[in-house]
Amino acid sequence: MNLATSKLTRILVAAVLCFSALRGYGQDAKLQLGNLDRLSEKAARVTDVTLDGSLLQFAVNLIEKVDAEDKDVEQLQSIIKNLKGIYIKSFEFDEASQYSKGDVDAIRSQLTSPRWSKIVQSVEKRRNEYDEIYILKNGDKVGGVVILVAEARELTVVNLVGDVPLDKVASLERHLAPGEKHSDKPKQKKESSHDQE
Amino acid sequence: MHFSEDDLREALKRKDPGEGFTQRLMARVNQSKAEVTTQLATKKVNGKFLAWWMQRPAWAMAVVAMLLLAFGIGGYQYSEYRHAEEMRIARAKQQKLQQEAERARDQAIMALEIARAKLNHVLQHAQLQAEPNDKIRRERL
Repeated sequence: MNLATSKLTRILVAAVLCFSALRGYGQDAKLQLGNLDRLSEKAARVTDVTLDGSLLQFAVNLIEKVDAEDKDVEQLQSIIKNLKGIYIKSFEFDEASQYSKGDVDAIRSQLTSPRWSKIVQSVEKRRNEYDEIYILKNGDKVGGVVILVAEARELTVVNLVGDVPLDKVASLERHLAPGEKHSDKPKQKKESSHDQE
Repeated sequence: MHFSEDDLREALKRKDPGEGFTQRLMARVNQSKAEVTTQLATKKVNGKFLAWWMQRPAWAMAVVAMLLLAFGIGGYQYSEYRHAEEMRIARAKQQKLQQEAERARDQAIMALEIARAKLNHVLQHAQLQAEPNDKIRRERL
């Protein structure tokens, strides 16, 4: 009786450990960005996007319904359909040095796992600019992407969870921004928005 | 059982009914009369009412038909009202879902736009940093 009980306990513990490990494996592409929330008070402009679960599914379904023949929409669909979550925190400050090195290090510390790879790093120490791109490898596929832009007056963390086609994201058309999609002259808008840059 | 003559005499002896016997008796007689009259009057009225309708079957049918029509119209209007109300609630729910979906879509597009901008920003910075190094390397070679 005791032997059977101890065996059963071991099996249960192993199952729980396996389950939690699998759960962690699936979720570790999502970063904990809660520590940045306190910067909202200092920032002149805050962008906070949290889109996952049913909300993201809503968005996917709606994008699929709208103008399926439009190539831009098609591209957007191909990006978004494999995503499991989009998390963005962006803070723009009027003055420099409004956030600490610790704030950035708290993000970086979550990217130290061997599954995360830093694919791009751009450091401009004179201007206090540290830009980095990390990807999470999930076998042959990408499990997640983190774009960290830490500049003198800006701190942005973009965390995309899921299979992210980076090339497609980089080549997204600008006029896909909300409110511009249904304009009569999308190309002109696109050009004008490029001109503004 | 045996009764003696004296017993019988005693039993059949005349008894005094007491004072006010006549009044009591008359009062009870009057009360019974009044009850009978009331019952008869009620029966008479009911009988008259039914008799009136029995004599006019067309009127009776018309009243019944009107009552049925009124109930029918009322029921139909109520069911229509219920249906309209259910449709209104369903439309409101659908509209709310649509709004949520649109908000989610706009947010997703905005998020991807930010991702695109930041990705290109970082890549551009990295490229700019790499360019001078390439030049120096080429010059050295």
